[in-house]
Amino acid sequence: MLELKDLYFTVPDSSIGNSGERNIIDGLNFQFEKGKFYAITGPNGSGKTTLAKLIMGINPVSSGAVLYEGKEISDLSITERAKLGIAYSFQQPARFKGITFRDLLSIATGIEEEKKLLEIVSHVGICPLSFLDKEVDAKLSGGEIKKIELAITIAAGPKLAIYDEPDTGIDLWTIGPMVQLLKKELADHFTTTIVVSHNRVFLEAADVILILDKGHLVYTGNLTDALPLLTDLSVCTYHDSCEGEENAGCFR
Amino acid sequence: MLDALDKTLLKTVAELEDLPKGAYNIRKNGKLLRRQQSANINIETNEDGTGIIVTIKPGTKNESVHIPVILSQAGLYDVVYNAFIIGEDAEVTIVAGCGIHCGTSAPEGHAGIHEFRVGRNAKVTYVEKHYAMGEGTGKRTLNPTTKIFLEQGASADMELTQIGGVDEANRINEAELGPDSLLLVTERVLTDGEQTAVSNNSIILQGAGSRANMISRSVMKGNSNQIFYATIEALNKSFGHIECDAIIMDNGTNETMPSLKAKHPDAELTHEASIGKIASDQLTKLMSLGLTYDQAVNRIIQGFLR
Repeated sequence: MLELKDLYFTVPDSSIGNSGERNIIDGLNFQFEKGKFYAITGPNGSGKTTLAKLIMGINPVSSGAVLYEGKEISDLSITERAKLGIAYSFQQPARFKGITFRDLLSIATGIEEEKKLLEIVSHVGICPLSFLDKEVDAKLSGGEIKKIELAITIAAGPKLAIYDEPDTGIDLWTIGPMVQLLKKELADHFTTTIVVSHNRVFLEAADVILILDKGHLVYTGNLTDALPLLTDLSVCTYHDSCEGEENAGCFR
Repeated sequence: MLDALDKTLLKTVAELEDLPKGAYNIRKNGKLLRRQQSANINIETNEDGTGIIVTIKPGTKNESVHIPVILSQAGLYDVVYNAFIIGEDAEVTIVAGCGIHCGTSAPEGHAGIHEFRVGRNAKVTYVEKHYAMGEGTGKRTLNPTTKIFLEQGASADMELTQIGGVDEANRINEAELGPDSLLLVTERVLTDGEQTAVSNNSIILQGAGSRANMISRSVMKGNSNQIFYATIEALNKSFGHIECDAIIMDNGTNETMPSLKAKHPDAELTHEASIGKIASDQLTKLMSLGLTYDQAVNRIIQGFLR
């Protein structure tokens, strides 16, 4: 349902002597199948978020193509891609003044009716109903805004959902239910799900792991076979003793 | 007696479809159009005939007063002095506002000088909207002045809005807070084209335990300019905060000068100020939910000025 063809994202870089350019995404080819759960991982700076933003149209494609449901979408705007059913959950969600969770839900779903909005919030389940009239502003904690971001993405009912580090700021007790929620959405609606993450919980949940390194796809496949490479790349020092926000870095 | 134009202006500045329930005083082109009092709210013309005195009986609960002003007479500059005396323990909402319709090249303007005395433990909500419209090219000026005195334990929530069409505005807000009183001021000003608006705010925290929060939201479109001054002066153990944000669109310009004066060692005063264009992450987020760029801009501004 989504295909990346010889995809490049290039930025000017004067520190390199040769062409003065650097490929953040360096010739990627991959095909995402409908209704599967993908986890993209890799060391810091490997191009994970850049790739996710190329799919959503937030970053422009330098060369190559992004095909969605068989159609070339590289030249489509963010808005047009959203209307085709692609949704994006930001790692650092925008904060507004005077815009509430309710407003964002209404924009995402086109629904304004109170009863239906409450149903959506209950259905998604990750945010209490009391969040509905909270302003999505600087007063929200990092965890609260991430929950709202996730709920809006799910509420939009996308065909393709991209989550960039959905667990940032989320407490350990919520991560398990969050994964279950994404899997349930996938099962119920056949939502193709792409999660950018270092968290083993997401990696374990995924059907396919993609490992990026320096803009290249260095591995695609199951988690078991990915483990030696993940250790080599020190993507995450992949062990079991990580607990709490303090140690969250070891998964990052 | 209310024509279509009057109704449009009234709806915009006072959210009134027709004559309001409860007490009201409607002034049109410098003259009284209609007035109604209630058992607890007295409205009378002041001694020199330059405005009204609104007196709210102590203990009055859940009542409202509407005092809109509408202007559609070319060349008129209407000045009015209104006083509000709010009795102890009363709880009241006052809705003021001025709508100008300018149909010719002659200027039209209004200066409303509003003075509030809020009695002990009384609560007042004051909503003021300013708006100008019309096909005429005459300059539309609105210069509101608001002075408020809060007695012990009193509180005031003031929403001051200038929503568009006003060519020139000199806005003055002054407040003096007694012990344990609370003042919340939210000012929203939208300018466009060649319009200018200056807002001068001075809040004096006189009494111990007094608290004030001033929020200013400015949007400058076109070539418009806004200048915002706000001073909180603490003379006692008190708390004060100023939050002023300005969004620049097109070629708008802005100057923002928050100022804090602590004249007591236990004063706690803070401010935050920002001027800039709409943050790109906000636009990207709304576009990723399916809005176009222009729709996203409008939605952000609408929220910001809400």
